[in-house]
Amino acid sequence: MKLAGKNQAWERHQKQVPSVDEPGGNLWGCFRSCFLQSAAPYTEGVAYKILKNDLGIELREAPGHTSCGAIGYHGDVNNLETQMVIAARNFSIAHYEQGVDNLFSFCVTSFANYTEVIKLWEEEPDLLEYTEKTLKETTGREFWIPHVSGGRPSVVHASDVFFANRHKLAEKAKYSLKGIKATDHVGCHYGKIFPGEAMGGAEFPQVLVGLLEAFGAEIVDYPERRHCCGMGFRQCAFPENRDYTAGSVYKKLASLKEAHPDCNLILTNCPGCTVFMDAEQGTIKEVLEEEFNVSILDYAQLTGLLLGYDPFKDCGLNAKAVPVEPLLDKIGIPYDKSKTAEERRRPF
Amino acid sequence: MGKLFNELKQDILYQHGMNACLNCGVCTAVCPAAEFNDYSPREVMNIVQSEDDELIEELLKSDKIWYCGQCFSCKTRCPRGNSVASVILALRRLAIHYGYFAESEKGRQQLIAKRVFGENMLKRGYTLLAQNISPSHFPELGENWEYYYDHMREMREWWGVPMDLENSPGSHRMIPEQDMEEVRTIYQKTGAVSLMDAVEKGMEKKLGSKAEVEKYWQTWLETGDSRNYEIK
Repeated sequence: MKLAGKNQAWERHQKQVPSVDEPGGNLWGCFRSCFLQSAAPYTEGVAYKILKNDLGIELREAPGHTSCGAIGYHGDVNNLETQMVIAARNFSIAHYEQGVDNLFSFCVTSFANYTEVIKLWEEEPDLLEYTEKTLKETTGREFWIPHVSGGRPSVVHASDVFFANRHKLAEKAKYSLKGIKATDHVGCHYGKIFPGEAMGGAEFPQVLVGLLEAFGAEIVDYPERRHCCGMGFRQCAFPENRDYTAGSVYKKLASLKEAHPDCNLILTNCPGCTVFMDAEQGTIKEVLEEEFNVSILDYAQLTGLLLGYDPFKDCGLNAKAVPVEPLLDKIGIPYDKSKTAEERRRPF
Repeated sequence: MGKLFNELKQDILYQHGMNACLNCGVCTAVCPAAEFNDYSPREVMNIVQSEDDELIEELLKSDKIWYCGQCFSCKTRCPRGNSVASVILALRRLAIHYGYFAESEKGRQQLIAKRVFGENMLKRGYTLLAQNISPSHFPELGENWEYYYDHMREMREWWGVPMDLENSPGSHRMIPEQDMEEVRTIYQKTGAVSLMDAVEKGMEKKLGSKAEVEKYWQTWLETGDSRNYEIK
């Protein structure tokens, strides 16, 4: 019964994302993430290298594209109307200036935000008209809606592109996750706002598990697997509210430790989860004297490691709170052992 | 049914977020914020459905609407397709519009949000900047982050994600002025600028003067905790 339910859910939540061998899969427009560039910039760097060098994808992005503004939307400094017109502007630039039809974003909140405005344009003709008119008035630009997944109005996330190409990436990998226990933590804004737009939906998300399985990992489940990391917006941004973030991370990791004490790898696809599930382990260690030592890796960082990119220079594991060397040893990824941990992290 | 509820009803986020809530409580059961704060999404939906302006005003003046972390776990699980997180967004806009946000401690943090997320977008075209993640406000990130912060430019070059390049694609680039002008015009025309202005005005009214608003802001910048500013 359990498996049948899972298969049914998977059937309902299929999403079509072209691989590099399919039409449209080797030319993408991409929207960079202001969160990723600020809190984990190296992640975007290694994702770029993999997409261009290992998959041969041509990536186009415009100098004039801006943040989607969604941190301000969920942080209450702008309106839905603002979000719609800013999104329309970014879409218009990608299509008319960069000549791309397929678009992905590096941030899950941008992905949710672009999905939200596209759905509103479909459901509310007045808002579509408002956006077209306001975009023209404010920028002189033409309106355009992307149709990425299955020819319907949609955008996708960068991790979807990795998922679509996972078998090709696994073939190129120098190292495997065989014998490694791992689990996923899918960003709320990837899977929870519009489950129908997530690879596998909110119940059985496959976007990260599919990658882990392709690389040979043993997937483990735990009770709080779908619990939010507690990033929030005003919560993670302001130190005085961060007890909520730390509390959520504690709840998740305590649950994982109880169910699978030998699982030390969580794969993520959201900048907030990637940064705070790692960083708050330091706080928890200091406040509660409890250590989890679970490496939190972004899908691009893990893929980079397995493809043979340098763990520190390329994959940017310098700035993590949890030491990554034990995981590298477990997988069998070499690094310069003549240097101290500090020297590896501080190159200048 | 009063003025506040009528206004709330006009908001598309309310219209899409509220589809006859049966108050089953699944939203509260799954809500991370309800676990750690005096907050219940079910209670919020109850109050709103009462259509009672006095109760709604009390809610808008409280900390409660600001506890939501916007994860939308409530939307995923609601058997009736409601989205409390969307209703919360509509309530927050209403609280800012009427200045009620300044009556609660968490609501007053809106000044910080406005001066970080809002002003970043108008000045640089990003809602977050590399410089925002400072070690003093993010001690959790630890000593490795402190090193990165002190060597930000070199480290980003080393990682292959250089910053502040002009007229270039890429991370943390300088967005051309012509594009920035378009963004500012959009923010003006779509009401974001007036929403941000309402935050400044609401805080000035609550704290008594522009100088006190600056003191509140400085307190947060210096101590990372707005509660260190005492309301007279």
